[in-house]
Formats: sequence, C-alpha cells, structure tokens
Amino acid sequence: MRKVVAIILASAFFAVLLVSFSNIQQADYGEKEYYYQNPINGSYANESVPSHYISNTKNETGAVNAVTAIVVEYRGFDTLGEVTVLFTAATGVSFLLYKTRGGKKRTEANLILKEGSKLVLPFILLTGAYIFIHGHLTPGGGFPGGAVIASGFLLMMLSYPKFFMKEKAVSVTESMAGITFAFIGLLGLVFASSFLQNFLPLGDAGYVLSAGIIPIIYIAIGFKVGSELSSIADKLKEVQK
Amino acid sequence: MMWPEYITVAALISIGLYGVMAKKNLMKIFIALSLMETGVNLLLITIGYIPGGTAPIENGNFAKYVDPLPQALVLTAIVIGLSVTALALTLLIWYHSKTGTLEYRRGMRW
Amino acid sequence: MVTPVLMIVIPLLAAFLMPLIKKAHRYFTFSILLLNAILSVLLFAKVYNDGAIYETIAGFSPPVGIYLAVDNLSALLALIINLFATINFVTSKKDFKFSMLYLLAVTGATGIVLTGDIFNMFVFFEITAVASYALVASKKDEKAVEGSIKYMILGSVGSSFMLIGIAIIYSQLKSLNLYDIAARISSMDPKMMWLSFSFLLTGIGVEAELFPLNGWVPDAYEGASSNIASFLSFGPSKASIYAIARLLIIFSMSRTYELALYVGIATLLIGEVAAFMQKNEKRMLAYSSIGQMGLILIAFSLIKDTSYAIPAAFFIIVSHASAKSSLFLISGKKGFGGITSKYVGLAGVLSLIGMPPMAGFWGKWYLLMGIADEKMWAVAAVIIFSAVIEAIYFARYLHKNLGEGESEDLGYSIPAAVMVSVSIIMGILPLVYNMAGGVLNA
Repeated sequence: MRKVVAIILASAFFAVLLVSFSNIQQADYGEKEYYYQNPINGSYANESVPSHYISNTKNETGAVNAVTAIVVEYRGFDTLGEVTVLFTAATGVSFLLYKTRGGKKRTEANLILKEGSKLVLPFILLTGAYIFIHGHLTPGGGFPGGAVIASGFLLMMLSYPKFFMKEKAVSVTESMAGITFAFIGLLGLVFASSFLQNFLPLGDAGYVLSAGIIPIIYIAIGFKVGSELSSIADKLKEVQK
Repeated sequence: MMWPEYITVAALISIGLYGVMAKKNLMKIFIALSLMETGVNLLLITIGYIPGGTAPIENGNFAKYVDPLPQALVLTAIVIGLSVTALALTLLIWYHSKTGTLEYRRGMRW
Repeated sequence: MVTPVLMIVIPLLAAFLMPLIKKAHRYFTFSILLLNAILSVLLFAKVYNDGAIYETIAGFSPPVGIYLAVDNLSALLALIINLFATINFVTSKKDFKFSMLYLLAVTGATGIVLTGDIFNMFVFFEITAVASYALVASKKDEKAVEGSIKYMILGSVGSSFMLIGIAIIYSQLKSLNLYDIAARISSMDPKMMWLSFSFLLTGIGVEAELFPLNGWVPDAYEGASSNIASFLSFGPSKASIYAIARLLIIFSMSRTYELALYVGIATLLIGEVAAFMQKNEKRMLAYSSIGQMGLILIAFSLIKDTSYAIPAAFFIIVSHASAKSSLFLISGKKGFGGITSKYVGLAGVLSLIGMPPMAGFWGKWYLLMGIADEKMWAVAAVIIFSAVIEAIYFARYLHKNLGEGESEDLGYSIPAAVMVSVSIIMGILPLVYNMAGGVLNA
C-alpha cells in the first residue's frame, strides 16, 4: 500500500518536473531580457549577470578561471558559509562520536598494500597541494584539493588499522585555516571598503602569483577541507565494529 | 531544449523521492536523499549549459563559454550534501547501537 | 562602525577559534552572543534613523556580488534571535563542541534574516539546519537520535526542493539577488513562477513548521534537551518564517498570498487541535508552536492588504519566542516547584493565549484589526476558535502544573524568567508599535 502510494506520488512529481523543465530555454545569457536591475540605485545594467562574469573576470579579479573567481571573490560569502557547513558537520560528528572508540581486533593489511600506500602518500598530498595552489588558473581549487589530501589519509587508514589522525594537530589546522579565511575577509573591510574585498595587487593574469587574495584563500580552504574530511573519516573509522 | 539531460534530472529526483517515501531502512532513505541531491546538482549544471560552450576558463581560442555561476553554486551544494551525509552516518551509528537495527519501525507520526 | 556583516563574521571567527581556547569556552561564547545582541541593537537604531542598510560584500555591486539587506523588521528579528540565544546559553552545561555548534546555529539564523541573496539564504539555512540536527541529538538517547534523524530526512528533502526552486528562478531571470528578482519577476512565465514559488515554500516550510511538512516537530522537540527545544522555538523557525515573508513580498501576487493564507489556516487548526488531543507535555508545547507559526504566517499573508500585518506578526513572534522558549526551559519536571517557575508558567501561558498585559495580546489584537479591515470574517472566526482551544488546553496545563511539584532548578528557571519578562515589557510598551511599523522592503 505504502509503496503504491509512493510510486503514484513519485510519478506525479516526475511529470510535474518534466512539464516545468520543458519551459526552460537553453538561451544565451547575453540576451536583453536578462539585463539586471541594480538593487541599490535601481538603474538597469546593459549586460546580464553571467555575461558580466565572462567579460570582466580577468580585469576585476585577475583570475583566469571564472568559476574560481565567482567562488572566492564575487560570491565569496557563500564560500565562507559553505566552509562553515562542513566545519559544523565535522564538529557535529566528533561531538556525537567522541567516546565510542571500538576496541575490536582488526586484521592486518597485506604487505603490498601497506608499503604501496606509504609510497604513494607523498604524491597524493603533492597532487592535492598542486590542485589548490593553481585553483585560479586550472579547473579545481580548495575543495577538490582538500578532498584529494583527505583521500591520501583515508588510504593510510585503510592499510594501517592502527593509523589514527592526531586529533590536536587536525583541529589546530582546521581552526587556523578557518581563522585565516575570516581574517583575510576582515582585512578587506579594513584596507578596502567591504568584507572579503581584494586588497592585494592583481598581478599578471595567468601566473601563480596573481589574482590578489584568491590563492591565499584557496590554500586556506584546501587545508581546512583536507583536515575536516580526514577528521570525519577518522571519527567514522573509530567506531567501526 | 535538451531532453535527455532533463529526463535524467527528473528521474533522479523522483526516484529519490520514492525512496524516501517507500523505504523503511534508514540507510536506504539516506541513499535516496543523496540521489535527490545529485539530481538537483545535475539540474543546476544543465541550466547553465549553453550549446557549443566550453569551460569558463579564459582562452584565446574560444568565443563562447558556458554560464559559470551554476557551476559555482553546484560546488557549494555538493559540499553541503556531503556534510549532511556525514552527520547522517553518525546518527545512524547511534541509532544502530541503541536499537540494534536500521529499520525505522515507528513510522512518521503526526 | 556598525556593519551587519560583523554580526555574521565575528561569531564565525569565534567558532573557528573555539578549539584553541577550550577552557573558557562558556564565558567566551556567552560574551560573543552578548556582543552580537548589542550590535543588533545598534544596527536597529541605525536602520530606524537612516532607513534600510545595503551592505555589499567583496566590493562588487549586486546582483553580481552578494549583499546584505537590513530593514527594521530584520534588524529586530536579529535582535530577538541573538538576545534570546544569549539568555538561553546560560543553561548550557556541555563541552566546547556544544558551544561551537550552538554559536554556529545562531549565526546561521542571523544570516538568514540579514542576507539579501537567495542562494546565500540557502547556505545559511544549511548552517542552521546541520547545527540543529547535531544539537537535537546532543542528549544521545534513543528519542533524541530518532527526532534528529526525522528532522534530518525532512530537512534534506526540503533543502533539495529549495535548491530546485532557486534553479528554476535562475533559469528564467539569470539572477539570484532578491531585489533584482522582485523587480523583474513580472517578466517570468506565470507557470514557472508558481512552480518556483511552491518549491521554495515547500523547502522553507520544513524549517518553518508549516502544515504538511511538520512531522519532525513533535519528535525533535520531545527528544531534544530542554534548552535546545527552547532554541528551536526562537531560532530557526522564526528566521525561516521571516524568509517566507520575504518570499511573499518578492512574488507579490494575490494568489500567492492566498495560498500562504490557506497554508497558515491549516497549520493553525491542525497544530491547535493536535495540541488539544496531546497528553505528553513537551509534545503539546511543540504542537502549540506549530499553531503559533500558522498564526504568524496568516499575519504575513495579509502584508499587502493591511498595515496591521507587520506589527501583528512582530508581536506574535516576540510573544512566541519569549513565552514558548521559557516554557520549554522549565518543562521536563513534574510541576512548577518554586515561585520563579510558577511566575514563568503563568506569564508564558497568558502571553501565548493573548491576554492583555502581554505581547501576545497586541499580536492577536492587531491581527484581528487587520482582518476586520478586510472583512474576512471566516478567518477571524478560525482565529478566535483556535484561541479558545488554546485557552482550554493551557488551562489544563496550568492546572496540572501549578500545584506542588519537584523543587525547581534555578539555573533553568531564572533565565526563563528573564526571557518571559521580555514579553511583558513588550506588552506594556505599546509604543513599540511605531517602531515595528516600519516598511519591510525585500
């Protein structure tokens, strides 16, 4: 009975979604109907929001990668919130699981896995660091880079049953990275006019040392995401039965 | 109009919704929720796609780029989905240790 | 220099800093919350004198960048949330991670109220929601975990729906700024407008405890420890009902207001009737919360028709935030043992059912005035009917509890007394009407 009702509701929902999507035009964003109105003075701009990003990213932020420019600069406040959500989840996981370390005996991993993962770990960490340092030039950035770093530690946890993250080091890294992010934002409030505004020279677009505060923030995010994801994996591993 | 993409999106979201409504195993419910999130992320990406566009990384050889904003939004949405999943797994560990099962027996009471 | 962004950034910075200064975490959290409450008073004074504040972030003019839009009502709501959070925090006895989560949840609720960008609003929703899931489970018994899981399932479905709504709006207007959307919404296909409105209403409605989506409410409130139940009733729910009000103003069609009115009436009736039938005390209070949220939504749905709507909604929010939170704080024991608990119970109940010297009276008074102006007698009848039911079950509640009981825990009842006093002060100062009557612009 329950399943029948669920099927009927889900198919009705499917139909509604299809009908609504059939009205979406895959239009170019440069069209006039998308021209926006400025909320503060009420004037109409002669471009749409996405075309502003496409045409002005390089001049305004010094980054080549428009997605990175949006994530860190134009909508940097969202990213601060996003980092905070991850931080909240990591705190919640460790808050709820702090005393449940399982005491069961674990089987040792195979020699090849153990030695191989030791060999690979530095390269994984290096790749992660490369990804987040070059976030403003190539696809990638703090989040993927952090995830790659965390996957390196996950590999260690899989191959060594007694490998645990040093809780103190992880939480200090996490905090320092978060503080760096928020603090750079506040410096923007002090040296420029608003929170998270760029206050460093933009440099030549296309080089690593360019784009003002974007690389600094992305490095902070990389450390933060890496330490948070590994601490989540670590906590979930501790209770493994 | 790109039918295959939108049909996939609608199917993912409704399968997720079906799973949330019909399943009793909490693990399966959270898998269904992840499916729904994937569907929504795909929807955002599809909305930002422009036929013939390339990745929005400045390059002299291309004239047409896809809309970069939805891609930035999806980055945020993925991280949020991941956080919720991590917390959900933690709660499921607790639920399992308290009740010895992952089945949700009491149902939704109003 | 009071800028609204500080109200979000300082608590975030403090939460990031918390693992480094574990020892003094309670004083630290308390002082940050207090600082935030003071900042919101200053912010309200500034908005009241100079008009709405628009603060751009990252130096790009909106809608290219994000901005914070603060008007009278949002400054007042930020004040309510932070003030009650400060008072409520006194009762916390847990470790520093609890303080961190609490601070983050309060920050998220403040952010929802202050932001002027729809996706940013979604992010803050998630901060509050994720922190609240963990906080609800913080008691770590079976009921708490169950309530939290239920809250999490519905909350995740809601956040997916909200994101679908945002995606549809973006596909039509290529903008995420609330003001820009409001200005150009008329160029949108009406069918798409309805779809996005209903997706957003469903998504936010989960947090705002609206009728078909509030299955999590009784379980979460019952399972959570009393100070978290108290937090849930003034924090996330109030912020999200305000988000719905902003949404209504953006979509600004007579039919959307009508839909909100019907949802509000259904929520009110279901909540009050369920509370009437309920035996368990905490669940009864939770259902009564649902009823009050319906009342607030009814008030907001009249925003276009009558100038009484905003003061009505404001007073009901104040009354519910202070009275229900304090009732939750003193609940969980048998009877109101001491004099402080008795005072809290009596004042809280009086405010909730809308008796004269309390803020709740002014809320219902303005609401009925507004409805009388519009000559919607059926709605007035529903509200009066629900008030009668409310009076009956609260009389039963008082009768059961006012006698002798276990000795009270002053650590809980004194903060509760401070909270409920806010309701009395706001009831005695009807002058506040002038302050609350400011224009709410999205």
